[in-house]
Amino acid sequence: MSNQHIASAFDRDLETIQARIMKMGGLVERAISDAARSLETRDEELAEEVRGRDKAIDILEEEINEEAARVIALRAPTAGDLRIVLSVMKISGNLERIGDYAKNMAKRTSILTQMSPVSGSPAALRRMAREVETMLKDALDAYIQRDINLAHEVIQRDRDVDQMYNAIFREFLTFMMEDPRNITACMHLHFIAKNTERMGDHVTSIAEQVIYLVSGEMPDDPRPKDDQTSTDPSISSSS
Amino acid sequence: MTDLSSHSARSHLKRRNRHQTMIKGFGMAAIGFAALMLFILVASLVSSGYKAFTQTHITVEVFVDPAEIKVDRLPRGGFDDVLLASLKTYFPDVSGRADEKALEGIISNGAQFALRDRIVADPSLIGQSVTVTVPVSDPFDQLAKGLVKRDTPEAQRRVSDREIGWFDTLDRADAISQPVNWGLITNTDSRFPELAGLKGALMGSFWALLVCFVISFPLGIGAAIYLEEFAPRNRLSDFIEVNINNLAAVPSVVFGLLALAVFIGWMGLPRSAPLVGGMTLALMTLPTIIIATRAALKAVPPSIREAALGVGASRHQVVFGHVLPLAMPGILTGTIIGLAQALGETAPLLLIGMNAFITSAPDTPFDSATALPTQIFIWADSPERGFVSRTSAAILVLLTFLITMNAIAIYLRSKFERKW
Amino acid sequence: MYDAPTPESPVTTETMKFSARNVHVFYNEAEAIKGVDVDILDKTVTAFIGPSGCGKSTFLRCLNRMNDTIAICRVTGDIRLDGQDIYDRSIDPVQLRAKVGMVFQKPNPFPKSIYDNVAYGPRIHGLANTRADLDGIVEKSLRRAALWDEVKDRLDTPGTGLSGGQQQRLCIARAVATQPEVLLMDEPCSALDPIATAQVEELIDELRQEYSVVIVTHSMQQAARVSQKTAFFHLGHLVEFGETSHIFTNPTDERTESYITGRIG
Repeated sequence: MSNQHIASAFDRDLETIQARIMKMGGLVERAISDAARSLETRDEELAEEVRGRDKAIDILEEEINEEAARVIALRAPTAGDLRIVLSVMKISGNLERIGDYAKNMAKRTSILTQMSPVSGSPAALRRMAREVETMLKDALDAYIQRDINLAHEVIQRDRDVDQMYNAIFREFLTFMMEDPRNITACMHLHFIAKNTERMGDHVTSIAEQVIYLVSGEMPDDPRPKDDQTSTDPSISSSS
Repeated sequence: MTDLSSHSARSHLKRRNRHQTMIKGFGMAAIGFAALMLFILVASLVSSGYKAFTQTHITVEVFVDPAEIKVDRLPRGGFDDVLLASLKTYFPDVSGRADEKALEGIISNGAQFALRDRIVADPSLIGQSVTVTVPVSDPFDQLAKGLVKRDTPEAQRRVSDREIGWFDTLDRADAISQPVNWGLITNTDSRFPELAGLKGALMGSFWALLVCFVISFPLGIGAAIYLEEFAPRNRLSDFIEVNINNLAAVPSVVFGLLALAVFIGWMGLPRSAPLVGGMTLALMTLPTIIIATRAALKAVPPSIREAALGVGASRHQVVFGHVLPLAMPGILTGTIIGLAQALGETAPLLLIGMNAFITSAPDTPFDSATALPTQIFIWADSPERGFVSRTSAAILVLLTFLITMNAIAIYLRSKFERKW
Repeated sequence: MYDAPTPESPVTTETMKFSARNVHVFYNEAEAIKGVDVDILDKTVTAFIGPSGCGKSTFLRCLNRMNDTIAICRVTGDIRLDGQDIYDRSIDPVQLRAKVGMVFQKPNPFPKSIYDNVAYGPRIHGLANTRADLDGIVEKSLRRAALWDEVKDRLDTPGTGLSGGQQQRLCIARAVATQPEVLLMDEPCSALDPIATAQVEELIDELRQEYSVVIVTHSMQQAARVSQKTAFFHLGHLVEFGETSHIFTNPTDERTESYITGRIG
C-alpha cells in the first residue's frame, strides 16, 4: 500500500501547501526573534525592518488560502487529505496573527526608543518571547513530523508563558505605582507582553491542529489557562 | 512538425493504394467469376428449358360419331377413331393401317382421354361437332420447335418426310398453335413427354416438407431451448453439442440408408411415401434448426434475462415469455433456410424409393409419390427427346421455389432485425 | 432562543433488514467473498465501495439469490432477511426476488411498452386482480420513480425509446412495482450522464423513506452523497463498515483511508 496518490499531481498540490506553511512559519519565527531583539537593543532600524517584512507574511496567508480552496474544489479530499487541507488553512490564520503581533511589538518598540528605558522589563519580555519562539518552532516541527506527543508538550508549555505574563503584569504595576513617569512606557510594554501571551495562545492553537491532523479529533483536555489577570482580583495588589 | 506530404509519405501512400487496388481487384475478380458461373448455369438451363414452357397443340374439329361413342357405353368408346377421322378430313387419301397409324401418331396419345372426359361430362355432345385443342405427340412437338432438324437424312430422323409434309399442311391450315405449357405444372407424370407434368412431384414435395416441418420445428426448437437454457454445462451436454454440429455435416445419403433400414424395413412404413420422405428430411433439417435456434437464443442479450429474473420471473417465464419471442425472427429464418435445403435434397429420397414412376398425385402423405428433385432425376434418365427440355424446365421450377423461400427468409430477417 | 432546523438525520432507524454472517462465495475453487459479516438497516441507504474485483457486486447478488443462476457459484454462510434465512430450502427464490428488487448497471427495460414493463412484475406475482388495480400500481410505481409526468401520455410506447436516464428510472419503477422491501442497485448510474445521475441520486434519497436501499458504486463521491452507511470491500473481505460521514472523514482502517484518498486502485 503506497503513500503516494495515484494522481501524482494531488501529491504535488499537498506538498506545495505544506511547504508554504513551513516557509510562512520560518518568516514568523524570524519576525518574533527580530522584534524581541530590537526591543532589547532599542534598535529602531531593525524594528522598521520587522514591520516591513510583515507584508510577505500576509501575502503568504492569502496564497495558502487560495491554494487550499483550489485543492478542495478540484481534488475533493477526504479523510487524512481533508484534514491536511483544513489544518493548513487554520494554521496559516494563526501564523498570520502571530506575525501581526510581532509587527505590533516592533511598532511599539519604535515608540519606546524615544522614551527612557524601564529597568528590568526587557529581560523578562525577552525570555517570554524566546519561549514563544521555541514553542512555535516545536509546533511546526510537530506538524512536519506528525509528532502528536510534541504537540501535547507545546500545549502544556503555554502555561509557562501565561505565568510569565502574570509576573510581568505584576512587575509593571509595581513600576507604574513607583514612578508615574513610567506609565506610558509601561503601558506599551504591557501591550507587548499581552501580545506575546496571545502569540503563545495561537501557537497552542497550531499544536491543537497538529493533534487534529494526526488523530482525527480535536484534543478534549482543556487548554491550560493560567492567565489569572482577568479573574483574580488579588493580582492588582503588589506582591 | 510532421510533414504529411513528404516524399516518403507519398511513396507509402502510393504503395498502400496499390495494395488496396490489388485487393479490390481480387475481390471483384472473385465475385465476377462466381457471377459468371452462375450466369452460365442459369443460361444453359434457360436455353435448354425454355422450349418446355410451350407445348405444341393441334386444334381440330371433331365429329362425335354416335356410331363410335354410345352414351350407355361411356366411358368406353372409340375416341381415338373419332380423332383419326377428324384428321382424315385434312388428308382424305391416307389409307392403310400403317399410314393411318402414322397419321394418328401426330396427336398425343392422351388426346383421346381428354376428349373422353369432355364427352362424359357432357354426353349431349354426342352426335355433334366439337372443337378440341389437344397436344401433339412429342416427335412433332420437337419438330415444331425446330429441335428435329429437317436436313438430317430421313433414316436418322424420328419423323419421315411424309409426316413432315402432313405437319406442314396442318400448320398452313392454322391448326397448330403453341400455347403456354401449363400442363407442366398441372399434369402428373407420364410416359409421354407432351403429357408429363410436375403435379405429382409438387404434391409429393409439399407433403414431405409439411411432415418435415411438423416433426423438426417443435423438436428442433425444444431441443435447442433445453440445451441453451436449461441443460447443465457439463461433459455430457458438450458431447451432445459436438454431435449435433457433426450431424449437420453428415452426407444426406446416409440419412437415406438409415430411413430405408429403420422406417421402411423395421417400422414397415410404406415405401415411396412422402411421410417417410418427410421423416428423413426432418432428421436432416433438425441439426440446422437446432443450431440456428441456439444462435438466435444466444443473441438475446443476458441483460434481458437478468432483468426478468430480477423482477422475480421463474426460469420458464424468462425463457418462454422473454427470450423466445425475441429470438423468434432468427429461429424462423433458420427454419426457412433448413426447409429450403430439404426441398432440394435428392439422395435420401432416392434411397427410400421416391423415384418410382407414379402417374397420380398423392392425396395423403401415405400414398406413393415422387418429389421435385427425384422427378428431375427420373426425367433426366428418360430417353424421349421431349424430356431433355422438360428436365431443365423442372430444374428452373425448383430453383424458383428455392430462391423464393430464401428471399422470404432474408426479408423476415431484415424486417425483424432488432437493435437492442 | 433560535431553534435551528434539525439537519437530515443520518440513520432514522435501527431496524435490521438483512443480516449476513460468515458469508463465503466460491466460483468453482476460487473464493470471491471471504467471510463477510454485515447488517443492512431498514429505511437506510447502504453503499458498498471498493476497487474492481473486490466482490461487492458478488455480495450484492447474494442478497437476492441472483448468484443461483450461475452454475459454478456456491454460497455458504447465513443471510437473513427479517430474521429468515433466505437460502433455506423452503424459500422460493422467485418470491424472494419480488421482495428484494434489483436495478442493474446498464438500463435494461424489456422490449415492451412502458406500461407492460412496469406491469410485468405485478402480473406474474398476481398482485393485481383487475385492470384498474394494475393501472393503479403502474401509476404509483412510475410516480415513485419520478417518471410519471414525463411518460403518462405515452404509456404504450416502447420502453426502449426513452433516454438513458429515463430508462433507468423505468427500471426502478419496474423494481418497485412488485412492492419490495429492499432495493438492490448495482452501479445504477455508471451508464448515465451527470444530470441523469443527479436525478437518480435524488430519487434514491426519496426511496429510502420507504425501502432499504443497497447500492454498489465505483464513485466514492456518489457513496458519500447518497448513503448513510458505507461498507468498504477489498479482495473479498469487508474491511470496514460504518457511518458514511465517519468513513469519509476519519476511517479506522488504513486500507479504507488508502482507497478513499486515492492511494490504491
